[in-house]
Amino acid sequence: MAETVYSHESVAEADAQAPVAHIEHDTNTGISNTKLAMWLFLASECLLFGGLITTYILYRHPLEGPTPKEIFDIPFTSTSSFVLLMSSLTMVLAVSAIERGDHERLRVWLGATALLGATFIAGQVYEFTVFVREGLGFTTSRFSSAFYTLTGFHGVHVTVGIIMLMSMLFLSLRGKLPEHRAETVEVVGLYWHFVDVVWIFIFAVVYLIP
Amino acid sequence: MALTPHDQIPTQVLDGAVKEYSRDRVYVLTALFLGAITVVEVLTYAAPTFFLWPNNDIKIFVLLLLMAVKFFTVAYIFMHLRFDKKILTYFFYAGLTLAVLVYIAVLSMFRIWFPGRHG
Repeated sequence: MAETVYSHESVAEADAQAPVAHIEHDTNTGISNTKLAMWLFLASECLLFGGLITTYILYRHPLEGPTPKEIFDIPFTSTSSFVLLMSSLTMVLAVSAIERGDHERLRVWLGATALLGATFIAGQVYEFTVFVREGLGFTTSRFSSAFYTLTGFHGVHVTVGIIMLMSMLFLSLRGKLPEHRAETVEVVGLYWHFVDVVWIFIFAVVYLIP
Repeated sequence: MALTPHDQIPTQVLDGAVKEYSRDRVYVLTALFLGAITVVEVLTYAAPTFFLWPNNDIKIFVLLLLMAVKFFTVAYIFMHLRFDKKILTYFFYAGLTLAVLVYIAVLSMFRIWFPGRHG
């Protein structure tokens, strides 16, 4: 009788390019608890950011103070958006690298992702500074409160992501991130991509939609 | 039994990941595609009266459409939903659908679609 189920090791031997992150786990769903927990967390984050985006839509017309059209620098924010979008590429390449067991490239891509994220945050800090100088403080209007809360909350998420990426980089440098822990990088990657898709929403709704 | 190079890898073990796994080239092409969409989005600002969006209503529709394309592309390719177990897709879209429905209800409560005489 032919065998139909193979051990993970034999499959990995058969295809060195096989992504070990997607192997079957000994859980009811076949998915690791960590990954399942991250997806559930991201689903709950949809509700959180949905609330903040809805509040912004409701309050985006200021009764006093500068209007969005007067202060937004669309070319600058577009560049920041592009930087964050490209960080998703470097993140997925990092996941791909560790799945292949290429630790050098893993470190390069993790570092690049953290750097691009930091560039995005620097841009946001600069943008906020300019807005405050132009008279748009947190309590200036209902629009400013909603705007700073939404984009600031997203910025905090990016910052947490950068900390996680740096932790991964540190673990990798100390040799504590072998191939069989590729899923750890993948889970951090899921968080990072989610932060990116949230910005896709924010960029369109806050900055572009008239 | 060890696998030989000619054996087909059982997809029940790897959940189809080997057969359909996106390589780095696909990731780069996806990023270029996303970048191109971002350029089109920015064009709606740079060229406010382009023939594809002659008025604000159409422009909003185009922007929402492009936003959705970017969102699903990142979720399916970069977040590996396309290659992973379906239950993850269900979880994520359950949260997303719930969020969209709840907040459409909230916006409707505040009469955002039809402001009326108090708008």
